[in-house]
Amino acid sequence: MASVALFDPCYLQTLRPGDAGDARRVLEALGDTVTLIDGRCCGQPAFNSGFRTEARTVGRQLLKAARAHSAIVTTSGSCTAMVRHYLPGLWQPPRDAAAASIAARFVDFATYVARHPALDRLGLRLPGVVVLHESCHSRRELHASAAFSAILSRIDGLEVREPAFAEECCGFGGTFAVKQPETSVEIMRAKLDALGATGARVVVSPDYSCLAHLQSGAAGLGIQLEAWTLPELLARALA
Amino acid sequence: MTGFRDRARREIAEEHRSAALLPIMRKLVADSRAMLARGPADARDRAAAARADAVDRLEELQRRLREQLALRGVGYHRAATAAEAVDIVRRLLGDARRVAKSKSMVAEEIGLTHALREAGIDVLETDIGEYIVDLEGRGPSHITAPAVHLNRARIRDLLARAGAPLETDDPVVLSQHIRDVVGRYFQDCDAAITGANTAIASSGRFAIVENEGNVALGVSHPRKHIIVTGLEKVVADEAGALAILQVLAPSATAQPLTAFTHILGSPPPGQERHVVVVDNGRSRILADPRYRDVLRCIRCGACMNACPVYRAVSGLAYGSPYMGPIGAVISPLLWPRGGQADLPFASTLCGACTEACPVGIPLHRMLLDLRADAVERGAVAGRAERAAWKAWAAAFSLPTGARAAAAMARLGLRGGGRLVRPLAARGADPRLLPEPAEPHDPALLAAAGPDRSERPVIAPEEVLPPTPVERFRLRAGQLGVGFPAAAPASALELSAAAAVASTGSVLLTGAPVDRRALLAAPAVALRVDPATVVEYPAGLEPYLGADDALILTGPSRTADIEKVIVRGIHGSQEYAVLLEPPIA
Ligand code: SF4
Repeated sequence: MASVALFDPCYLQTLRPGDAGDARRVLEALGDTVTLIDGRCCGQPAFNSGFRTEARTVGRQLLKAARAHSAIVTTSGSCTAMVRHYLPGLWQPPRDAAAASIAARFVDFATYVARHPALDRLGLRLPGVVVLHESCHSRRELHASAAFSAILSRIDGLEVREPAFAEECCGFGGTFAVKQPETSVEIMRAKLDALGATGARVVVSPDYSCLAHLQSGAAGLGIQLEAWTLPELLARALA
Repeated sequence: MTGFRDRARREIAEEHRSAALLPIMRKLVADSRAMLARGPADARDRAAAARADAVDRLEELQRRLREQLALRGVGYHRAATAAEAVDIVRRLLGDARRVAKSKSMVAEEIGLTHALREAGIDVLETDIGEYIVDLEGRGPSHITAPAVHLNRARIRDLLARAGAPLETDDPVVLSQHIRDVVGRYFQDCDAAITGANTAIASSGRFAIVENEGNVALGVSHPRKHIIVTGLEKVVADEAGALAILQVLAPSATAQPLTAFTHILGSPPPGQERHVVVVDNGRSRILADPRYRDVLRCIRCGACMNACPVYRAVSGLAYGSPYMGPIGAVISPLLWPRGGQADLPFASTLCGACTEACPVGIPLHRMLLDLRADAVERGAVAGRAERAAWKAWAAAFSLPTGARAAAAMARLGLRGGGRLVRPLAARGADPRLLPEPAEPHDPALLAAAGPDRSERPVIAPEEVLPPTPVERFRLRAGQLGVGFPAAAPASALELSAAAAVASTGSVLLTGAPVDRRALLAAPAVALRVDPATVVEYPAGLEPYLGADDALILTGPSRTADIEKVIVRGIHGSQEYAVLLEPPIA
């Protein structure tokens, strides 16, 4: 039985408030003791916009909250990538080393669950069909593709479809979606076409940021497509 | 001043670029991957190592290059700025009034064609794609496929307006028309200007790749040939050059190698040759450890082929001769005070560019650093945005701020409900943010229809014949090369120095190789000794000789119009190999 910390990122708190509860249920079903840490944001929105001072101010709070924990599970692939790959670089040596040692303990939910020794004992079952959308951060920065697919393949009764051109971006890109709306929507249309063609009505991703974007597009364009987070899917598959 | 967003909006609204570009680029990316998989497994690592080494020893290699070129009687000229480069070229041209120019990104960068025309010199763009975009007047939209944004009908229109009405818009007819114009010009011009893909420091040679044969005509100009190239485009030796060539054509156009790979040795008798090495900010980039690796770039275009933003808006939205991810990185570095500070923000940071780059440039990470630089310099983000980020940081770092922060985020993220923004042509922004507590309906899990995805057809894995010479025969045959029992009548017969199995290429060496005779021949027959067939291009190193060399990979061709392949541009499409001694 392990003790883990759970970081519920800012946008999930806002857009999908039930997600942390679902993640907790899954982790507890795996036999872990879960502590929700008081971190609010990894600093990514500011960092990706070029505002590094602001990103550092915010990221510092998260590292502080995480300091005491040996593993911090994060339910968003892009936030995990931000913490692991970029946050420590916001400090000068030698302070960056201290930041890096905390950052290295952050792990994305998919990778953590896929590696968990108790995964086999969960008995996941959920009949139905989903299409997966793996986020670019999860795929290219965290290399978590195999973990994500491995978990989905453990769910009894679930048919997992992969869209054509699965490696293509959904057009979100954080503040890009707001600052370059025309281009963002243009890219999103292609992704929605590919997802829709699979016939599935539920799309699952290790990154809710992409999902929220796709969901907003589907809603606005009248496409029947619902975006589920990985914790949400697993929580439903539990019992 | 218009920025990326305005230009992108226009390209999407008025031209709907993705309709044409998305399918082309998807196919290109898949084909490139398959072509790279044919090569040695470490091809990309070797190319990256050759480029990294060159960047590390740039000035040393330039010195060596200069010494070697002096031995060959080739003039070496260093230009610190674009203006200086243009002046040098003008001086070198002397009283030349008609100049045949082939494709060169550095020439685009320094505005060479325009500057020479201003000076009263007649310049013809001899690459088919460049010829077309020159007529259009908006510049190239891709670094290896300049006219990829134009369809055949538009190209026919452009030609008609330029006084050449053609009966059809068949890419064969359009390409051949331009080929003829260019061919006539070459018969009667005073000098030729080309680019170079890499200079080879150890031997003073230049590797130049092309498909059409216009470069072959340029480098063999009877009187004057000027090469314009970037300071970074040098590599230590032949092994390094071959390592680059091995990934360049597969990454750029999904070809094994281009139809012609010139390894230019000493100039032909009577020709005066010069190289103009353009710095124009490269030394400054070299001095910044965060960006110096961008100088590894071999201008293959793979990053833009893979880029979702590029595919949506085309290269014309970037407002720079360099577009796509490499353009977004290098434009603000080359022109720190130009209007390109917003280009690093024209990216979703998906990392497809970094993944595609054959020489390992971390493009998306550089984009992040460039964003921070732009904010720090005050080149982007107005007072309101700066204040907003300050407030955001304050809200998210209050000790008891969880609630305040969440409230703030809700305000920021959900403020408008629908993100209504004036999206020009394709309707208002359709995105509608989901309700936070919206319960999901498990019934949707079961509501699936059949999978109707249209996936790219993946060619079944080929079973390759066991010997190198048979593999050579297979690959050359796929490019349209014949293997007759005897040389066709009237064919120009030449003996090859070696051949390559994985690419179907044939190596010619000489002092120099007579390119004009080769292109003028109605048919060409190449004698290849099966014992000289090597597996990969890298294996050609011992066969390259010390002077001039030319690697032929299939007949001359172009794909500059809608990526349709047209064979036989400058030079024959009849191209035969005679294996001597023959194989069983
Ligand atoms: S950055 Fe890399 S992928 Fe892009 S053009 Fe240069 S070498 Fe090719």
